Amino acid sequence: MKTLLTLTARLIADQKWAFSRGLALSFLVLAMGAALLGLSGWFITASALAGITGLGLNFNFFTPSAGVRGLALGRAVSRYGERLLTHDATLRALAKLRIDLMDGVSRRPHEEQARLRGAQALNRITSDVDALDGVLLRLVIPFLAGGMVQIAALLMLWWLEGLPIGLAVFLIYLLGGGLGLIWVARAARHDARAAETALQNIRRRALETMRARADLAVAGQLEAATAQTLAEVEAEALARRNLEALDRRVGAVISATTALAGAAALAIAGQMALAGQITPARAAMGLFVALALAESLMLLRRGMAEIGRMQEAGARVMDLTDTPARAQPDGHAHTDTDAPLIESRNVAFTRAKSAAPLFSDLTFSLARGETVMLAGPSGAGKSTALAVLSGLLKPSGGEITVMGRALADWPEGDLRDVLTMVPQRSQLIGGTIAENLALALPPAAQLDEDAAWAALRAVALDEVIAARGGLEARLGEGGTGLSGGQTKRLALARAALRQPDILLLDEPTEGLDAPTAAATLSGLRALLPDAGFLLVSHRQPDQSAATGTIALK
Amino acid sequence: MTDATTEAPKPKAVLARIAQPVAGKLKLAGWLGVASALIWPAQAALIGLVLGDLVAPGVSTALSPLAGAAGFVALALVRIALDWVSQKLSADAAEVVLRESRETLIRKALRQASGAAALSPAELASLSAEKLGALGPWATRYQPAFLRARIIPLAFILLAATQSWAVAGILLIAGPLIPLFMALVGMAAQEASEKQMVEIGSLNRLLIDRIAAITDLRLLGAEARSRADLETKSEDLRVRTMAVLRVAFLSSTLLELFAAIGVALVAVYVGFSLIGWMNFGTWGSKMTPAEGIFLLMIAPEFFQPLRDLAAAWHDRAAALAVASELETTETEIAKANTLMGTGGEGTAPQLGALRWHGLQIRPGEAADPIPLPDGDIAPGEAVAITGPSGAGKTTLLTALVGLIHPEAGEITLGDTALTEQNADDWRAAFGWIPQSPRFADASLRELITLNRPGDLDAALDAAQATEVVAGLPGGLDARLGDMGGGVSGGEARRLLIARAHYAGRPIVLADEPTADLDAETGAKVIAALLALRAHGTTLIVASHDPALVAAMDRQIDLEGAA
Repeated sequence: MKTLLTLTARLIADQKWAFSRGLALSFLVLAMGAALLGLSGWFITASALAGITGLGLNFNFFTPSAGVRGLALGRAVSRYGERLLTHDATLRALAKLRIDLMDGVSRRPHEEQARLRGAQALNRITSDVDALDGVLLRLVIPFLAGGMVQIAALLMLWWLEGLPIGLAVFLIYLLGGGLGLIWVARAARHDARAAETALQNIRRRALETMRARADLAVAGQLEAATAQTLAEVEAEALARRNLEALDRRVGAVISATTALAGAAALAIAGQMALAGQITPARAAMGLFVALALAESLMLLRRGMAEIGRMQEAGARVMDLTDTPARAQPDGHAHTDTDAPLIESRNVAFTRAKSAAPLFSDLTFSLARGETVMLAGPSGAGKSTALAVLSGLLKPSGGEITVMGRALADWPEGDLRDVLTMVPQRSQLIGGTIAENLALALPPAAQLDEDAAWAALRAVALDEVIAARGGLEARLGEGGTGLSGGQTKRLALARAALRQPDILLLDEPTEGLDAPTAAATLSGLRALLPDAGFLLVSHRQPDQSAATGTIALK
Repeated sequence: MTDATTEAPKPKAVLARIAQPVAGKLKLAGWLGVASALIWPAQAALIGLVLGDLVAPGVSTALSPLAGAAGFVALALVRIALDWVSQKLSADAAEVVLRESRETLIRKALRQASGAAALSPAELASLSAEKLGALGPWATRYQPAFLRARIIPLAFILLAATQSWAVAGILLIAGPLIPLFMALVGMAAQEASEKQMVEIGSLNRLLIDRIAAITDLRLLGAEARSRADLETKSEDLRVRTMAVLRVAFLSSTLLELFAAIGVALVAVYVGFSLIGWMNFGTWGSKMTPAEGIFLLMIAPEFFQPLRDLAAAWHDRAAALAVASELETTETEIAKANTLMGTGGEGTAPQLGALRWHGLQIRPGEAADPIPLPDGDIAPGEAVAITGPSGAGKTTLLTALVGLIHPEAGEITLGDTALTEQNADDWRAAFGWIPQSPRFADASLRELITLNRPGDLDAALDAAQATEVVAGLPGGLDARLGDMGGGVSGGEARRLLIARAHYAGRPIVLADEPTADLDAETGAKVIAALLALRAHGTTLIVASHDPALVAAMDRQIDLEGAA
């Protein structure tokens, strides 16, 4: 429950106005619905009385019948407004939540970001955010509007019919709708978690088994692995069965509550009418209002079915959004222009939970205009060394200075201004080429077209981009639409646009043919003549471009 | 017209076929729902009689408020029971549909031939997990709602007509207008949404795109810029979405409006009749108060099934979409090549020379069969299969272990010929080292031993993988996960070779075991492979790495074989 309350407070925080308007209209819709049925019941019963007593001619039918029509129309129109306002509030709140999520993820440590970038984690984030779109629409707003309308009905019935009817109806709804549904909600969380986990397991097992099926078949284990995948299907069916049973229970609680409220109103109001305390028309009104109030519970049914999933998803999403800020050294960078760009002394790195260091004794320095090659067999930790040198990972020993200042003392923003790395698997984003390139610029800066083309030309990508329609050509999600080698070169051009003093390159020419690889490296050098390059590559052409080599042990 | 015969079956027919085994259950669930909805008029009649008796004692059958209330609750309990059973039946039916369609799909997909899959692993994962889930709400929500919408309004019109033809007339006019208007608005909404949503993905896509690129964004110092960009695009998307919703919500508003007007008309007509100002619409006699209240109470319920159907319409659309995807997928899989046997455990046949002749293999459905040169490999030999990319090296290896059905030709091991029936036994003679290893989410120990007994240390040693294990967090308990996280390509291959050592199968096939490795790492892999050979294992590698080819006894060149 606490998760949902915190989450709700957060979703509403910036949308108070939109949320209140939506809630007010939602209340109005429910109230008009109850008033419409109540008035209709009263009108018909009163008409019948007037007809029988022969007072028909004196009966004011205009006001109530106009009221009936007005409420009917007004209700439909308010409903339209309510749906628009509540959806608008939800869209705003979720857009904000997604931005908070991205902020949270960007504050996580590098290793964890690597995990979050995986397909499975991304899938989970998507499904979690989707699960939360019902929090306001199907849970909070119906719950609050329903509660408000119940209180309003209590007051109206007390005034028009007497306290016993009002109180009886109110208490029945309170017990059934309030306590009954909370009881169900408590049970829902466990089953929702089981169903969600089982679904993720089906996905994971199917993926793994499918990928490894040749391997498994030769090992004689494909049958067993298939059976395991199908066991997850079975587990999901079981969890879903429990959720369905819970949903039936919610439905039964709602139906029973409504029936009891209607019956109580009928019995009490009927007795009062028989005793002459109220007119039969008033009695009818009480009964009809009691029945109409059922709508306030019906709206909650969908939300109740999803409540377990919302709690689970909410907890995970808030864990990400609440990532604390990274510790940042403050102050300005006092850099020594004469010092080497990077100086690394006895730097070592040990993986978490691992006994032996991945590498140790990394000692070298990089000066302006130099291209240094970091060599070592596969698995020696070359990519990890680049991550350490660019400040993504903390070394377990040794010292790194960048332009004469200890790496740990650089504020993140200042460091990124002088040092850029292009990782082995660069990821572009959906959007235009220009948008992708502009990511290299300070937040408000505009992309200079000439500079952009110069960078593209340096990595021999200008013709490819021009053929695709220039800088405004659009890439699909995740930057799809370019080949692996083209993606890599666009990432290189983007890094070059930052005009860094230090450029770290992880396999910069992977997937390129020899002439293109050579042209790319010499193009980058021509564009950034004073920068220091540190590169990891197992390709011969790159090795010949290097002015020095360090071995990683 | 010739096109029509080759076209895929209509999604509706596919859905009906999928639900066929539970059609009876679904039907029964639907009718129980109808029965439950038909109890309401009885409840309305009770209330009508109680109120009628209060207004005009003696006109209709007398019923005290307490008796009326008791009857009302009793009927409600019957209703609840019927709903319960109906929902249980449809939930059970949904479970069967879901389980069986998942099971069929997964079973078929996992038997696809290696390298010739019509369905990628990622597609299988998302189709079998989330997408097929859409069949559930279709069975539990849409199907019963559909039956109720067909029966209840008609039944209520007939019921109303027994009391007043005028009320029946009002309902008759208001009812059918609803679907008509909704269809019009629905079409407009569809058009609007298509126009608005073409080029801009959903908000989720925007977020996922940026999280996937988070390391690049950090290295570029672009986190703030990308955040601002996400804000602008989200806002833009919100405005567009609201424009679509403004039209889309019109359809449900129209539905409510017509329902409200219908009910209001009934109320006003009944009121006027009861006052005595309108004296038409009943069958001769004057309308009694009990009848009037009864009519007022069934009017809103006349519209309810239509509203339920409208609410469940989305479930239908989602189910139709997934049904047609499932159909296409299953057709594709049916056309694709499958592996031989079932992939279960077996007992290796008597050893002897591995021979194949006249082999022709179709690597993909659309591809032409590739003829492969004949081969004859004696026990204990080390042979390289060579040839340029696309010559069929990998295909030959997969055929030798029955992972694909050859179009023609025969493969024999000693006196045993590979057949569909003995494929599982046949494969028990082989070890397999794939080119790009994928590790399941299990401990390294399990991955190597496959939970079978043996000497793990010796196997790791022989494959030069001891140092690889030592460098991993947790050693043999490390979980490498999906992407083989933490090990490089060369390390992963050595781990797989360790597995082959451990399993001790007489013939080991390795597909490009030194591809993408630097010379030093490649040498380690070759040494690990040769250690297998030293134990008397027959070694067959597909490769174009000269160092590896040179380390083998001889080569079989696939080039120019055609």
